[in-house]
Amino acid sequence: MSMGTRYSFSLTTFSPSGKLLQIEYALNAVSQGATTIGIKAANGVVIATEKKMPSLLIEAESVEKVAMLNEATGVTYAGMGPDFKVLLRKGRKAAQAYYRTYLEASPTQETVRELASVMQEYTQSGGVRPFGVSLLVAGCDETGPHLFQVDPSGSYWAWKAAAIGKNYISARKFLEKRYTEDLDLEDAVHTALLTLKDGFDGEMDETNIEVGVVDVETGKFRLLSEDVIREHLGNL
Amino acid sequence: MSIMTYNGAAIIAMKGKDCVAIASDTRLGIQAMTVATDFQKVFKIHDYLYLGMAGLATDVQTLDALFQFKHNMFALRENRNMSPSAFLAMVSSTLYSKRFGPYFVEPVVAGLTVKPDGSVEPYVGGTDLIGCISSPDGFAVSGTMSEALYGPCESMYKPDLEPEDLFETISQCMLAGVDRDAVSGWGVVVHIITKDEVITRHLKNRMD
Amino acid sequence: MASMNDVVQSLKPAGGFEFDLCARNNMLKQMGLKAPKATSTGTTIVGLVYKDGVVLGADTRATGDTTVEDKNCEKIHYIAPNVYCCGAGTAADTENTTALISSQLELHRLATGRHSRVVTALTLLKRMLFRYQGHVSAALVLGGVDLNGPHLYTIYPHGSTDELPYVTMGSGSLAAMGVFEAGWKENMSEDEAVDLVAAAIRAGIFNDLGSGSNVDVTIIRGVDDVEVRRGYQILNPRPYARVRPNDLTRGTTTILSETRTPIHAGHVEYTNEDAVDMETSPVESGGPSSS
Repeated sequence: MSMGTRYSFSLTTFSPSGKLLQIEYALNAVSQGATTIGIKAANGVVIATEKKMPSLLIEAESVEKVAMLNEATGVTYAGMGPDFKVLLRKGRKAAQAYYRTYLEASPTQETVRELASVMQEYTQSGGVRPFGVSLLVAGCDETGPHLFQVDPSGSYWAWKAAAIGKNYISARKFLEKRYTEDLDLEDAVHTALLTLKDGFDGEMDETNIEVGVVDVETGKFRLLSEDVIREHLGNL
Repeated sequence: MSIMTYNGAAIIAMKGKDCVAIASDTRLGIQAMTVATDFQKVFKIHDYLYLGMAGLATDVQTLDALFQFKHNMFALRENRNMSPSAFLAMVSSTLYSKRFGPYFVEPVVAGLTVKPDGSVEPYVGGTDLIGCISSPDGFAVSGTMSEALYGPCESMYKPDLEPEDLFETISQCMLAGVDRDAVSGWGVVVHIITKDEVITRHLKNRMD
Repeated sequence: MASMNDVVQSLKPAGGFEFDLCARNNMLKQMGLKAPKATSTGTTIVGLVYKDGVVLGADTRATGDTTVEDKNCEKIHYIAPNVYCCGAGTAADTENTTALISSQLELHRLATGRHSRVVTALTLLKRMLFRYQGHVSAALVLGGVDLNGPHLYTIYPHGSTDELPYVTMGSGSLAAMGVFEAGWKENMSEDEAVDLVAAAIRAGIFNDLGSGSNVDVTIIRGVDDVEVRRGYQILNPRPYARVRPNDLTRGTTTILSETRTPIHAGHVEYTNEDAVDMETSPVESGGPSSS
């Protein structure tokens, strides 16, 4: 951050009880965000999120909530959309910088680490506020499939199955009941959709959710098309 | 005289069957004056990766420290070793960032890439002084008399040699090369890297 | 003194160039030591627009002064799924310039969700080369197919560009252009185009000493419809091959010393060359220990 000639104070300061309230408020913003699910299968990872529009008049295609970080990595979020865009841009840039240095794709954890370090920096720098998002990052690399969560504090960890955003506690319980180690990617998509549907307010269809998958076989991340999502929803 | 010939050096890296070899001379000179005969030009990066650098000796030592540092930081960060090709790419980007005020070094790497099934794949490669990568099929050479190294390598090298045969081949290429170079020689060291061990040998050669 | 921040910065890939060694290097130059030459690709590179797309061609020789440094280097670089670029000039410059622009285009595609256009690649490349006033010596042939159809450009090291139906670059460009001028016609079929491109590269390989070895060809028909024919024609194979068994019998080389170090596969290494064994003998009183 710019540490120029002017004074610049961090907005994130300790309360007398030892808490960083700005970070807790950021987490509140996250837990009010759209329900977002991630499941790691034996042969890939799925991430899925609600995409509810506040008005029927919005062109839903213009809103992108699940996005590609690089060929083998995708990311989605719960919380504030514009904050996510900033992190997405920085994450993509970091992945490219890694590739340009080593001529090898950035491992999932390295991309996650870069994102987390940006988020941490915004809890300690002057004149900025923490990011109002938690991320779910899905990726495949040499060591297999990975699912990570990154929080506004900059902490990150790996999940077998994760839920963030609104209703995340009940969604997590739902996942705990259904998760198995040898889950196939197709079944993981199915479970992710079931979990979303469980807490969904209103009718869930292919236009008001987004799903992304990365599979070990191709090592490529892709968004599921509306047609494919509709097919999956038909099988629920 | 060119900056690249100020100290003198000869380096060869060669691929064998599931093994690689890298050899260098050990002379350090200041132009025609020999200063040391035990100068290190090949550096271990990790068990399966060796880096040789020919060129200006001060830059060889500076870059050894820098690359060692960069590899160590990578290993601490990612909890794995760099593959030979990733390492060479890192060397290349380091050198190219100094495109307009370069280090006077031509690096060569020899290493084994560990594949997911645990087997190893030999890799040799090198760059010019501003980081243009070449990863040839059989061997890479670098140094003050690369012409005199290319000749014997072109005629004596063949693919898929066993470690001991690779040793003879790289050693004889090296000896033939340095004997036609006034500013390199005075001792030769050869490393043969296989899946299970690294063999380091010092060779007897002319000391003139 | 290096702060932690400097250390962290040094780990990040550098953006742009560093000039901190220039003063030292100028001093060496003034001492009468000549600055060495980087590897260049003497090179014959060509491109040709045909009925349904673009064909790019290149030889595979890289030279350092008069020495052949690489007999089979790759001069047709990936830029985007629908754009490729041949490079002539200083090898490191063509390699890094095309890689950098390729990376920028990938970010652009991710940000916009659209396929790259060839003019976008052209503009990024020429702006970079113009910025460096010709010191980044890359002479490029850029070809690709986008929503506006096939495009073929040449880019000179100073940043000027041309758009033409058939182009050549590099030290073999005159030989190759001779072939193009004699054989080019409008609306060629793919086979005709590939044949003519290969003939032009062959003219470079056999008439220009800076070019040699093989013909590489890349055909771009559209997005993700690209055929990379690496080693399309291998024109200069070695006329003989050495045969087994090795005629250097084991034991030929006299060994002065040998050390064998077993490798325990899979362990990550942090080396510290300067580490010295810990001094375990008691230090004599009355002064620092010496050895």
